Amino acid sequence: MFGFEAIIAHDGLGISVIGISIVFVSLILLSFAVSRIHKLIELWDKKYTSYQRVKKTQQKDQKTPSVSDLAIPQDVQRASRQFKLLIEWIGEPFPLPKLLDLSGKCGLSRPHSTVNELLKCELIIPDENGYYVWNKQLEEKRSST
Amino acid sequence: MENLLIEFLSNTGFALADYRNIIMILVGITIIYLGVAKQYEPLLLVPIGFGMLIGNIPVIKDFGLGIYESGSFLNYVYYGVTHDIYPPLIFLGIGALTDFSTMLARPVLMLLGAAAQIGIFTTFLGALAIGFPPNEAASIGIIGGADGPTAIFLTAMLAPRLIGPIAVAAYSYMALVPVIQPPIMRLLTTRKERLIRMEEPREVSKKEKIIFPIVGFLLCCFLAPAALPLLGMLFFGNLLKECVVVERLAKTARTSLIDIVTILLGVTVGASTQADVFLTRQSIGIFALGAFSFAIATAAGVIFAKIMNLFLRKKINPLIGAAGVSAVPNSARVVQMVGQKEDPTNFLLMHAMAPNISGVIGSAIAAAILWSFMSL
Amino acid sequence: MSTDIQTLKSLDLFAGLNFGELEQIAPLMHPMKVTEGEVLTRKGEIASTFFIILSGNFMLSFNEERSFTLHNKGNIIGLSTVVSPFRYTATAVALTDGLVLFMQGQEFLRLVQSNSALGDKIMRKINEIVLERMPYMTGTWEKRRY
Repeated sequence: MFGFEAIIAHDGLGISVIGISIVFVSLILLSFAVSRIHKLIELWDKKYTSYQRVKKTQQKDQKTPSVSDLAIPQDVQRASRQFKLLIEWIGEPFPLPKLLDLSGKCGLSRPHSTVNELLKCELIIPDENGYYVWNKQLEEKRSST
Repeated sequence: MENLLIEFLSNTGFALADYRNIIMILVGITIIYLGVAKQYEPLLLVPIGFGMLIGNIPVIKDFGLGIYESGSFLNYVYYGVTHDIYPPLIFLGIGALTDFSTMLARPVLMLLGAAAQIGIFTTFLGALAIGFPPNEAASIGIIGGADGPTAIFLTAMLAPRLIGPIAVAAYSYMALVPVIQPPIMRLLTTRKERLIRMEEPREVSKKEKIIFPIVGFLLCCFLAPAALPLLGMLFFGNLLKECVVVERLAKTARTSLIDIVTILLGVTVGASTQADVFLTRQSIGIFALGAFSFAIATAAGVIFAKIMNLFLRKKINPLIGAAGVSAVPNSARVVQMVGQKEDPTNFLLMHAMAPNISGVIGSAIAAAILWSFMSL
Repeated sequence: MSTDIQTLKSLDLFAGLNFGELEQIAPLMHPMKVTEGEVLTRKGEIASTFFIILSGNFMLSFNEERSFTLHNKGNIIGLSTVVSPFRYTATAVALTDGLVLFMQGQEFLRLVQSNSALGDKIMRKINEIVLERMPYMTGTWEKRRY
């Protein structure tokens, strides 16, 4: 048996209509009961429950100060020359991942932490487009002091 | 010696396998791939996928290895599926894990969980129309509830031989929520509706949270007693969570217990999909109807939310209606995702949890009703 | 090993949460040491884990090799784990040795399910960070250092 005939024969329509009605009635009743619970609690307590508000204590991060120290460690100074050459070869502004990739290929030791030092010393600074440039002003300032 | 070797070789999987085993093994691998690489419900799909591999290694009949052979290891573990032990235990874990407060804060959203169950009954009619007997049609319809344990629970009662395909269909569609639901949601809503911001829910007191599982259980189970195993465990688990004094029990229910049962259920459901049971024309019908059921459930939730907006003073975002299909919390996350595509500062996740959770209750009641009618 | 509550409290993402809420998050966040050059996320891969920096320096590189660096405690990596498109939009590399906290995306979903209000609070903060980083993904640029 197929089609509407099968639905009628097995009382499908009746089951569906009653079934979905019971689901609705159950959830409507539950919804109604739920909506009364807090009112009943209030009545029981004879007062409104005071809800604890979440404190908004915005504790500031212990932010690592951005280092713009002119005193650059010796090893970083040495590395900075090599990195400057690489940057000149790439061209400015340059993508930081490319500098890391190239420095690794050139066999420079610990390129990641060296780049980090150069960033902290602000010898490498971000431009406004997600790329980076060599801070010539700082370099000149350093060499003049 | 030669005979022994020939006999051994003729009993290996290579000799016993036919093309259907290979197809099912490939299906199993695909399901594992979806779980691992695409991360669609990995906690479910990985055990089910591997279970499919286990169940489809060809073995000698009556050797006590197959899942359908009494006395085999798999058969013992499968007992928990066929005798409805695992689904209520999973509901216990869900109860101990789930926060009902968004639903308690705005109970009217529970109606969306009811509306989504329309998919179940529509598909029941569809399955009857294409020739499935009523008990099987009811089991197929429940796929639209998007709740694996409920689907297994009802199928084990009404059509045990369909547990494999129905469970796999239910879990697959649950996993594919992010793929199936968004187009339906977008189709049925305007941009203006998708941009509706929901009002902040009120805070719900601890007392309310403790009273709710008791009231909810009594009310639902007096109305639909057949839902007792599922809803009893769901509300009990929630009471464990909310009453705080039995935190150890709540923690066990929401972590170790639900994980253990998920492993056992997943592997055995997967293993039950043996080629001769699974690769039938009927299974194709089950999958097609399951998808239909799921789509109708999603659409019904969204449309009902729009209808509610005709009467509500403070409008609700109709996208949250789609979360009425259960699949907690995936469909709520999909609602958040679709809503944020229109407005990245609109947060619907918390609001969608209300119909999402009431959908779990609704689908359990729907299953209970179908079971009652089929047993009459 | 889970994380202690004092550590969580000091992080911007969890600032303003009460003790009970932090207690729920603590078992889900796990500390992990990272070494210089280690890749935490790869652009395009499915986002399954997000990280909060406790110490160390990191670089995030987006499309067309655009990048920025993270140096502060509390900075987040792997936001796509909890927001669309659920695939990493950047490759994160450790520039120095460091320590991070990580949380699995699945665990976050469980957190949302078990306390949706808390999940919502965290999502809102994460969304603010996503909006800040959006220019790096979309091509409208501002100078920014985190």
